[in-house]
Amino acid sequence: MIRGLRPGILRLFRLPLRGAASIHADVDEEFAAMRLARIDALVAMGVTPEEARARVLECHGNLAVVRDQLRDSAERRERRMRFATYIDDLVQDIRYAARGLWRRPSFAIVAVLTLAIGIGATTAIFSAVNTLLLYPLPYEHPDELMRVSLTHSGRDGFVAGTPTSWSFPKYQMFAENQKSFADMSLFEDVQFTITGADAERVKGEYVGANYLRTLGLRTSMGRDFDPSVDKPLGAANEVLISANFWRRRFNADPRALNSTLSLDNKVFTIIGVTPEFFQGLNGGAEVFVPVASRASSDLPAGRSEFLLVARRKPGVSANQADAAVSILAAEVSRAFPNPESSNLERGVAEPLDGLRVAPLVRQALLVIFGAVTFVLLIACVNVANVLLGRAASRRREIAIRVAVGAGRGRLVRLLLTESMMLALAGGVASLGVAWAGVAFFRTIDPSLSERAARVTHGFVLGTVGFSDVSFDWRTLGFTFALVVLVGVAFGLAPALHSTSLSLGTALNDGIPMSSSGRHRRRSSGRRVLVVAETALALVLLAGSGLMVRSLAQLLAVDLGFDARHLLTMRLTVPPNSLVPDSLPGFYAQVLEHVRAVPGVTDAAINNCMPLSGGCVASEMRRLDHPDIDLDHAPAVRVVRVSPEWFTTVRVALKGGRGFTLSDHQGSQPVVLVNEAASRAIFPDGATIGKHVEVGAGGIRDGEIIGIVGNVRQRLDSAEGPTVYVSYLQSPSAGMIIYARTSGDAAAVGPSVRQAIRAIAPQYPIYDMAIMSAHIASATAQQRLTAALLAAFALTALTLAAVGIYGVTALSVSTRTREIGIRIALGADPRQVQRSIIGEGIILAAIGTVIGIAGALLCTRALQSLLFELSPGDPATYVVIVGLITMTATLASWLPARRAAKVDPVTALRAE
Amino acid sequence: MALLKGTLDVLVLKTLSWTPMHAYEIVQWIEARSDSRVLVDDPAMIQALHRLEERKLVVAEWGVTKNGRRARYYRLTPAGKVNLREESERLTDYVDAFVTILAAKKA
Repeated sequence: MIRGLRPGILRLFRLPLRGAASIHADVDEEFAAMRLARIDALVAMGVTPEEARARVLECHGNLAVVRDQLRDSAERRERRMRFATYIDDLVQDIRYAARGLWRRPSFAIVAVLTLAIGIGATTAIFSAVNTLLLYPLPYEHPDELMRVSLTHSGRDGFVAGTPTSWSFPKYQMFAENQKSFADMSLFEDVQFTITGADAERVKGEYVGANYLRTLGLRTSMGRDFDPSVDKPLGAANEVLISANFWRRRFNADPRALNSTLSLDNKVFTIIGVTPEFFQGLNGGAEVFVPVASRASSDLPAGRSEFLLVARRKPGVSANQADAAVSILAAEVSRAFPNPESSNLERGVAEPLDGLRVAPLVRQALLVIFGAVTFVLLIACVNVANVLLGRAASRRREIAIRVAVGAGRGRLVRLLLTESMMLALAGGVASLGVAWAGVAFFRTIDPSLSERAARVTHGFVLGTVGFSDVSFDWRTLGFTFALVVLVGVAFGLAPALHSTSLSLGTALNDGIPMSSSGRHRRRSSGRRVLVVAETALALVLLAGSGLMVRSLAQLLAVDLGFDARHLLTMRLTVPPNSLVPDSLPGFYAQVLEHVRAVPGVTDAAINNCMPLSGGCVASEMRRLDHPDIDLDHAPAVRVVRVSPEWFTTVRVALKGGRGFTLSDHQGSQPVVLVNEAASRAIFPDGATIGKHVEVGAGGIRDGEIIGIVGNVRQRLDSAEGPTVYVSYLQSPSAGMIIYARTSGDAAAVGPSVRQAIRAIAPQYPIYDMAIMSAHIASATAQQRLTAALLAAFALTALTLAAVGIYGVTALSVSTRTREIGIRIALGADPRQVQRSIIGEGIILAAIGTVIGIAGALLCTRALQSLLFELSPGDPATYVVIVGLITMTATLASWLPARRAAKVDPVTALRAE
Repeated sequence: MALLKGTLDVLVLKTLSWTPMHAYEIVQWIEARSDSRVLVDDPAMIQALHRLEERKLVVAEWGVTKNGRRARYYRLTPAGKVNLREESERLTDYVDAFVTILAAKKA
């Protein structure tokens, strides 16, 4: 009988049958028992006990080996049995948990959705952060690579220390004297026209012979430049092409090697194809032309155009390299004195890795990452909240289980299974969210990170972009693990709590004669969570509110021109195609053809696109104050325009007259200045009629004939001093064509292109776009940040609302009886409703106060991203506090309404 | 007489088919039934029992002997019964053939 009972009990409790120690003991005991039995038998036959023991021990002599074998096999058996029992239990738990979740689907849906958003969004954002900021650059030992640059001395309106470029002779001196770097190469972002048949404009780079070697890359086909190609200048006529270009232009034909390519009317031999992913450090480059292909007369010391990438020697630290560069650059600067300036340039070496995205994009990404972390945090809090609520509502059920003999461990496991199932379902759903998020990032204009850099200043690696953002499984794994951990922790806390209750308390608890003090204490955990949620949501709302307001302000900026119905495109006459003097005639002809296109009302050209971030700058000197040398003259932007540009683009003429066709090469040079230049350079007011010298325009003595309005070069800052010169007097080969249209500007594009093709088939037309697209791309980063933050903030707000709703609803359902009694005793239902709404609002209010403090602290990180807005903007805070209050009221009103409708009779009978 | 390899298991199953027993009882039973011609040493018996237990032909539980000592009692499972029938048929057949061959006389 005893023998039959024990395993039954074991099975009932689902305890593991036996541990290793007990197995060993079993085997030993069995032998001992057998010895005793033998001794008993011998004694029964009349042998003395001593004699019997001796005999038995003798024949049991060396048992060690046998015993070990037996122990091993016994252990194996136990393991198998235990595993089977475990699986059996697990299936039972899962079935039970699924039944429980099915019975309350709203609970399960809220939890799963919350998890999906939390895990999915975090994964998507971190995938972007990983690709754009963290993932090692795809070069050999990327940590050794540095960008070496000269830096401005801090004049001409340039910020001191901002990187500037090298000229070839300066680079040569630097390269010959430096000792910190093992390898280095110049590179420069340029565009070439492929001349001949199939004329097209391609992005390319002028590079040093060691470009690929410095980065640790090898050509995927053909050979690299010979290291000696850097000297002598003018001799090299070889070119490398990108894998993309090879496929596109040569159909991946291996015979492309050693064939020729005509760039800007100069013939090159293709010697190799770069690795698949590599499109130059600037990004998008398709041809790599050695600097040495240019004549030394084309590379004077004053022409600063090159960036420099260098690989540190082993054992040289980044700081040591920077210090060495700083000293050497000063020597270089002394050796090549600027004829117009006595200020010295300095030098700086910085890790290439720090340049992968523009500082503003980095900042925005980090802010967004911070925000999504908040969302994840709220998601965890919410899941914890939901689980706590569920545990509370199941106390009675659990108590009954305990009463009928369920073990505590078993119950804990059961509740944990439920949490884990939720976590798993959430994990699966989050895959969808994460995929969608990553797909969204990929659609972001890949040049966003580059453009933002151009608009600020300096170079940014084109190697990484949003289009490279790839799904990061490790992040998904990590976030998932985190949430599971939270699920376990919060699944466990209520499980332990509810299983440790004394039976009497828990069972009685089903009939709460609620003193609300006890009730409040019990759900205080949930209340704290709701307060935390509200506070976190407020921080996010504040951040997104500020970004949205900043964006609105940015979009409301007066551009200084009319961007509607304006089509722009670039047309560049390749070098060595036309003599400069024939350029005005050529462009006049082009404009004539463009104006003839139906739908075009007006057309003009200039060489500096509004909102593009900036153009050529130069010094402008007042000739009536000859004592001011060019060195200390203020820097101005120099823009070449056709006479009708101001009317076409609708820039206001503020005084004097505009250019006319009679201001041509033979007549008196004339210039226009914008209001900023007028104010800065002629503070006395009398601007018109003054004479100035302009460096870059080649104007020795130009008369100011008029003042025009400011045109924004950057959305987020007012235009600086600008001087306009007529392209008739100062021609340029690369111009932008502006066409004002009567209807949809984009629709006219193809016919405009055709019209220009008709007279200039050999010159590429590129970058065709409508002006509003330029504005859109100028605000892309701000719009992205604002949109993402807003999405997160709304998610957070929703989650907080769910939290408040949950707590109030629970409070109502556990107090139904109490409310029934109150109403039966004559309490006003509306009074009851108000007190319950009040409970929710108090929680929200505490959360709001904490949240405001947190927001004031956290939004400081937004400072650099905000346009003319303080992170503490009171209006924003008023709006979001209003929003939170409204949400909290609504979330607690729904359950409160149910409380007010409690029918005393039903409520009292219910238990 | 020492046992032929592989035959102990069948003897143990056969013994247990009468009633659940502990190891020493089984040894005694086999000795008694064979008029002490078959002697089994204790480690071999316990190994055999554990082997059978692992093959799920017997199950074991701790119990108390009539002398008031704890002992591990083994009981035949349904699978054990099937196995016993098959194995004893096979062995009987074998022994029969064996005896026939050995008893053959010159014609």
